[in-house]
Parts: sequence; structure tokens; C-alpha cells
Amino acid sequence: MDAKLKETILNPIFKGNPITVLVLGICSSLAVTVTLKGALVMALSVIVVTGISSLILSLLRNTIPGRVRIIVQLVVVAMMVILVDQILKSFEATYAIDKQLSVYIGLIITHCIVMGRIEAFALGNKPWPSFLDGVANGVGYGLILIIVAFFRELLGSGTLFGFDILNRFGYVPNNLVILPPFALILLGCIVWVQRSIQKDLQEK
Amino acid sequence: MNTNNNVYTVIYTTVIVVVVAALLAFVSQSLKSKQDANEKAETISQMLTAAQYGTKADLDKLSNVAKLDKYAQEIDKAFIINLSGEKLGDLPLDKVYGSKDLKRQNYNIKGGANKTAEPEIPVFIFKNGRTVVPIYGAGLWGPIWGYLSFEQDACTIGGAYFDHESETAGLGAKIKDDPSFQASFVGEKANFADANVFDIVKGGAPKDAEGKSLIDNKIDAITGATMTSQGLDAAIDTWLAAYAKYFIGAAPAAEKNPCQCASCPCEECPCDCHCTPGQDGCHCPGCECPECSGNMKHVEE
Repeated sequence: MDAKLKETILNPIFKGNPITVLVLGICSSLAVTVTLKGALVMALSVIVVTGISSLILSLLRNTIPGRVRIIVQLVVVAMMVILVDQILKSFEATYAIDKQLSVYIGLIITHCIVMGRIEAFALGNKPWPSFLDGVANGVGYGLILIIVAFFRELLGSGTLFGFDILNRFGYVPNNLVILPPFALILLGCIVWVQRSIQKDLQEK
Repeated sequence: MNTNNNVYTVIYTTVIVVVVAALLAFVSQSLKSKQDANEKAETISQMLTAAQYGTKADLDKLSNVAKLDKYAQEIDKAFIINLSGEKLGDLPLDKVYGSKDLKRQNYNIKGGANKTAEPEIPVFIFKNGRTVVPIYGAGLWGPIWGYLSFEQDACTIGGAYFDHESETAGLGAKIKDDPSFQASFVGEKANFADANVFDIVKGGAPKDAEGKSLIDNKIDAITGATMTSQGLDAAIDTWLAAYAKYFIGAAPAAEKNPCQCASCPCEECPCDCHCTPGQDGCHCPGCECPECSGNMKHVEE
């Protein structure tokens, strides 16, 4: 694999992470990280939407009229989001999670990561790298979501994926962890850790 | 190719929108039956929650098939009534009223331009003696609906469960997510004799010295969700008023009054008196019936 493609895949996961570095998608990362299951489904949905819409728009990139390109992007992204939502609603296993995520699945359409990557990458690159770029950005977003959800579910409910973990040892769940502000505190800690590893992100 | 040409732009956008619309319509149609089955199982688990067959969290652990089985096992009677409380006919025992069915009936109850037929509202009686009725109305951002169960005295609330489409997470969404809000309905008494059947009170419902909610028709609203609370209050009032005649008629014969209380000598009253739930428990303000000795309120049948 050539270096450029590798960079495309690895950059969004750590060095240029959409949440901790670009600070995109904060709203949903506070809202859907109460349980690991919810965070996982949200992460997968975003990966599918960013990956496939980047692929479709990259295939269409030479035919899209410049003046209406944002509208065309929106149509494709909205289509993907509705498809994901409809599919989640159809399966017994995901129906309850879809209900729990409620508006946030639909709100993927307004996700800055999706439109941002299409505008900045997919419209100027070949389909395969665009697809990888979309998927990698989704993974970068999902990774942070899962880290935050791991701590919030463990400390807030004493469970992981609904199975009792800390609860077994008489742990009393901390309600603060369930509330959105704690997600922000956790995100702050993650940004702190990342910035102390990656010195070039620190402002002089 | 000149992609900035006007004709090209119009044709391009038209084609892409038509293709996407056709695809979405196809997917939506082909997945509809599966989604309806999921929705029905969800409605059933909400009704079972209201009828106190377990908490929502426990019922959600069951598979769709298990939910349907449990419902089939526990449902006793289901029928539709009109606004006068008269029974119009039986419902098949596997028929439930989800939010779409309720929306149609809500228009019919409220009247106006959207009314398509006379209201036909469902009553579900479970084998544990509780009667479940639905409610439907407008929250802050979208529809809210739910199910209330009544004990055999036809006025004490046995359980409640509410659902919504798009209320604010953490605030209005608490009508669904906060079991303690739903639990606050239990034991309260609906006042079917009044148009204001039930109240969700901002600023706190009356409580006794120990801070327990009194047995009346008032509970606390949700902090930070005034509009959703008001919407739920209006939805409950509208729907329970539609059921009022049925419940007054369904009250056990021994207790002629839907809301009987020990301090009221209602049984000895020669006229048709209805005690109404008051501020401090169940008392009867100002009797207008000359034959009644106590402080009872006379309600015209």
C-alpha cells in the first residue's frame, strides 16, 4: 500500500481525529454515549454513511454541476441516512437501539464530518481512496464514541453491553456520569492525553 | 462536457432526485412489514408495562414472539366504544392501537376539519383486572402517546407508560425514559366527573406533611419540560374525558361513585352523587344535592 493511501486511512484515526482534533460531531458524541451498544450502532451507522456517500459522490464527481453540488451531496447523504435508519428499524435486534438513538440517527445528515469529508476529499479524489477516507473518518469518530461510552456505561450503570461488571462488586452507579456534562469532561481528558502525546497540536 | 449549463443542471438534479426517491420508496415498501411487526411488539410491551406486567426494561428483554405470546396470554377482552361509553363491537385480541391508529382517533375525538368519522376508541381489559386505555396528543416537537391502566374501581390509576417521537432528550423525553415519572401516576385517581380529568402540575402537586403525593388527580410536572408536560396533560385530559362515560358506567355497582371515599356517606345518598377527588385526599366539596347530608357534590348524570 502506498504511503499516501496509508496516511488517508491512519490520519483521521489519531492525528487528525474528527472529534478530538477537528472538534466535529461533539453534539452526538455527548448524546449517544450513555451505553456501549448505542455508541457502537451509532459508530457503525456513521461509518456506513461516510464511506458509501464518499464513494458515490466520488464516482459522480466529474458529472456534478458545480452550482448545485451541495444539494447533490445532501441528496446522497440524506438517502444513505434514511436507508440506515430504515434498516435499523426493520431488525428486531436493532429496533430498540434505533428508538433509543431516536433523532441522532437522522441527524447524521447534519454531521460536519460527512459533508466535510465529501467537500474536502471525495470531490477531488478517485473512488477507492475516497471510500477509505470516509470509512477512516467514521472509524475515528466511532473510536472516541466507544471510549467515552465505555467509561460512561461502566461508571454510570456499572455494566458493559448491558452485562453487570462493577455491579457485581456492590458498586453504586454514579448518576453524574449518565448526564451529558460528564461526556464533555471525558472528552476533555481524551483531548488532554492526545495533546500531551502529540506535541505539535499544542498552541504556543 | 460543460457541467455548468442550465439545462444540464436541471436534468441532472431531476434525475438524481427521482432515482433516490424511487430507491427510498422501494426500500420503505419492502421493509414495511418488518417495521410494523417491530412497532406492534413495542406497543404491546408498552401496554403490558401500563398494566403492570413488569417493568419496561424487563419486558424489552423478551423477543417479539415472546411479547406477542405474553399479550395473547394476558389479554381478557378488547373492544371499541363511542364517546357515550357504549360498546360498538369487539376487537380481535391481537389488534393493538399504535401511534398511527391513535392519531386518526385523536382527530375524530377533537373534531374539526380533520375529523373523518365518529370516534371509536379502544378499551383493553387484562386478566389481572386492569383496564388499559391509550392517550395521544402533541408534545413540544412532535406527537406523544401512551397507555394508562385503571384498577377495577374504574378510577385509580394502576400504571402508565408514555412514548414520544421527538421530545428533547433528557428533558421532555423523560415522559418515556424516567420510570419515576411514570410511577408517580400509580395510585392517583382520575376525576371522570370533571372535564379536567387529570392534572400535571407545574410548581408541585399538593403533598402531605411527609412529602408524599396525595391521592388526588395531580402529579408533579417534569422540571425543564414545561411544554411537554402541558402537552401530556392536555392529551390525558382529552382522551380520558372521551372515556369518562365508559368509566363512570364501569364503576362497580357497590360503589356507585367512581371515586368512593370513606368520609363520604355517598351510599346513603338518595340521589346520584359523585364524590370527586379533592386537594386533601378524596373529599367532596360543596354538596348541591338537598338530600345529601355531607359535603358532597352533585353531578348530573
